[in-house]
Amino acid sequence: MLSICHLYPDLLNLYGDRGNIMAFHKRCLWRKIPVKTKCVSLGEDVDFSEHDFVLLGGGSDREQNLISSDLMKRRDNLQEAIENGLVVLAICGGYQLLGGYYLTREGESIPGLDILDFYTQAGDRRMVGNIAVEVELGGRPVQVVGFENHSGQTFLGGIRSLGKVLSGNGNNGRDGLEGARYKNVFCSYLHGPLLPKNNRLTDALISLALRRRGLNYQLKSLDDDFEDQARGVMFKRMGIKVK
Amino acid sequence: MIFRLSAAVLAGRIASWLCRVRGFRGSSMPGLVARKADPDSLRKLAAQVRKGTIVVSGTNGKTTTANMITGVLGDAGYKVVSNREGANMIGGVTSSFVMSSGIDGKIDCDYAVIEIDEASMPGVLKEITPGVVVLTNFFRDQLDRYWELDKVIGVIRDSLREQKNVVMVLNADDPLVAQFGKTTGLPAFFYGLAGTEHSRKTSTQMREARFCPFCGADLNYDFYHYGQLGTYNCLKCSFERPKPRVEALDAGVNGEANECRLFFDRREVSLSIQVQGLYNLYNALAAFSACLQLGIDVKTILKSLNNYQPVTGRMEKFSYKEKNVYLSLVKNPIGFSEVLAALCAAKGSKDVLIAVNDNDADGKDISWLWDVDFEMLASDHRPIRKLICSGVRGEEMALRLKYAGVPVEKIVVNRDLKVAVKNALNGSAGGAYLFSTYTALWNVHKIVKQLADKEDADAQHLSSVS
Ligand SMILES: [Zn+2]
Repeated sequence: MLSICHLYPDLLNLYGDRGNIMAFHKRCLWRKIPVKTKCVSLGEDVDFSEHDFVLLGGGSDREQNLISSDLMKRRDNLQEAIENGLVVLAICGGYQLLGGYYLTREGESIPGLDILDFYTQAGDRRMVGNIAVEVELGGRPVQVVGFENHSGQTFLGGIRSLGKVLSGNGNNGRDGLEGARYKNVFCSYLHGPLLPKNNRLTDALISLALRRRGLNYQLKSLDDDFEDQARGVMFKRMGIKVK
Repeated sequence: MIFRLSAAVLAGRIASWLCRVRGFRGSSMPGLVARKADPDSLRKLAAQVRKGTIVVSGTNGKTTTANMITGVLGDAGYKVVSNREGANMIGGVTSSFVMSSGIDGKIDCDYAVIEIDEASMPGVLKEITPGVVVLTNFFRDQLDRYWELDKVIGVIRDSLREQKNVVMVLNADDPLVAQFGKTTGLPAFFYGLAGTEHSRKTSTQMREARFCPFCGADLNYDFYHYGQLGTYNCLKCSFERPKPRVEALDAGVNGEANECRLFFDRREVSLSIQVQGLYNLYNALAAFSACLQLGIDVKTILKSLNNYQPVTGRMEKFSYKEKNVYLSLVKNPIGFSEVLAALCAAKGSKDVLIAVNDNDADGKDISWLWDVDFEMLASDHRPIRKLICSGVRGEEMALRLKYAGVPVEKIVVNRDLKVAVKNALNGSAGGAYLFSTYTALWNVHKIVKQLADKEDADAQHLSSVS
């Protein structure tokens, strides 16, 4: 039984983040992999080591502040689980939160959970629009597509990026990198429903979660016609050749 | 000064004519042109309204509510200026006055009923002086187009605080709206829908207002109607759903009609409207309350609301080959979920079209589709024969339905809008529901109208031959 942990679904629910939960959950069910989803909100008990996949989404400033102080209390538990291979998808504000700090425009430094080696600073323009990224999954390049909407600019320290930007801004609009990757943690600015369209990324996360449980088997392939079409439309629009 | 205004009106009229000649639906253009010629044109024109101006704002339902009020006032024998087509930013509001004005800059009207986009409230309220302000509800709209909801509510509150002699007509069931009764210091008239044993005790679509706007503690809910609308009270301070002056009980669907009992001022009447959707009953409640506040005869209000015909894309009804076809604009998760609830509540089999574009006016980010409760289509999909997805993001829409759990055999993608509409209208089901985002709406409307008119003409042709 794989266990999905949806963090703060009642607060971080305005960019369609639950699409990511649906994709992970459904793609397990369609393969008859037993799976359950647990929603965790402010102040509720959670032991991250008991879960297989954690989604930390993005929200508006007010919500971000609420969850930031709540997560601080669970920091050590989360870090330990991450070091032990917990699969995490962190999006937008959730991504920024895992880093060292956030530097505001006024020069104030707001501490993050400091689990991953990167920092974010406030930018003077919003980076909004469709984005395509090339991500390496299982030794092969996979094109991923989504929508970004952020003003924070993230700079990576000693960890690798999720991928390189093919079209759009990514982490900071300058170094051509998007997201971050550390152990089984995947961070990205591609907000909302990233996993449904990008089914190969979803399957990679499912495989990692299974492997962490010692289940090392090949995922059964599914009919991904709708997924391919939904992605294909955007690649075509952005003029990206699909490999 | 009068000369300058009439020059502005003339310029606006010419702009309107040019737009029409070129085939644009330029409903804000005349106003913008008039404002260039005379920046004071809206103020001068609006000041001529004899009896009063009614302003309607909020996230969902403002067009329908404003049109309902306009209809009632017209039926009561008054001359009314309104922005019927929903051009609700300052240019569109100015246009509606310019187009109702004589070339001499004189307006002959008793009332003005103006719907205003939330973000445009501060600007418009600097130039017009309403007697009644109706607020329907507050939900988050597409985020790449609007600021955060808290900020929107804040600027509306501040702009209302500067008003005098205004009565606010407020939705008691939405804590985000009801708070205005306290925060503005203006007199408030509340309307609401009473909870019943059938009302939901839990909500899956609670996106706003989990917390008390005054003290930040959790809000407790006895009932939910939809979104954060319901019967609530703060667990810490005295904030709670205000007692409505107009309260609806026993809301229900009766065939095509939406009915309820209305209690107000120790009276009881029954209200019935011929438009589907619980959210439309809320709109009728708001309109009823506003007209009651204006002193319109209750019988006239009820009769007019019963005759109300929805405008383009607000559960607008067509008939095609003896089947009912409904067209609805969709623009945010709560609104979309509510039209889906109306679809599920309607009897009979249905074909469904969903057209999704991602142009500027639709919102370039369509992530919000994943927050719409399409799951309700999956939980009982038997009455649904086909789900046709179209628009430039039709593929993503199809994917959303697949993950909602709708059987993929029922999902079709027709990129071409015309093919998609025809497919929905000629489906085997007894009724067709068409949902469209903003920039596809007029095209869908045009295609449906052509098909329905053609069918009408063919039918007449046949009968004259036989
Ligand atoms: Zn309170």
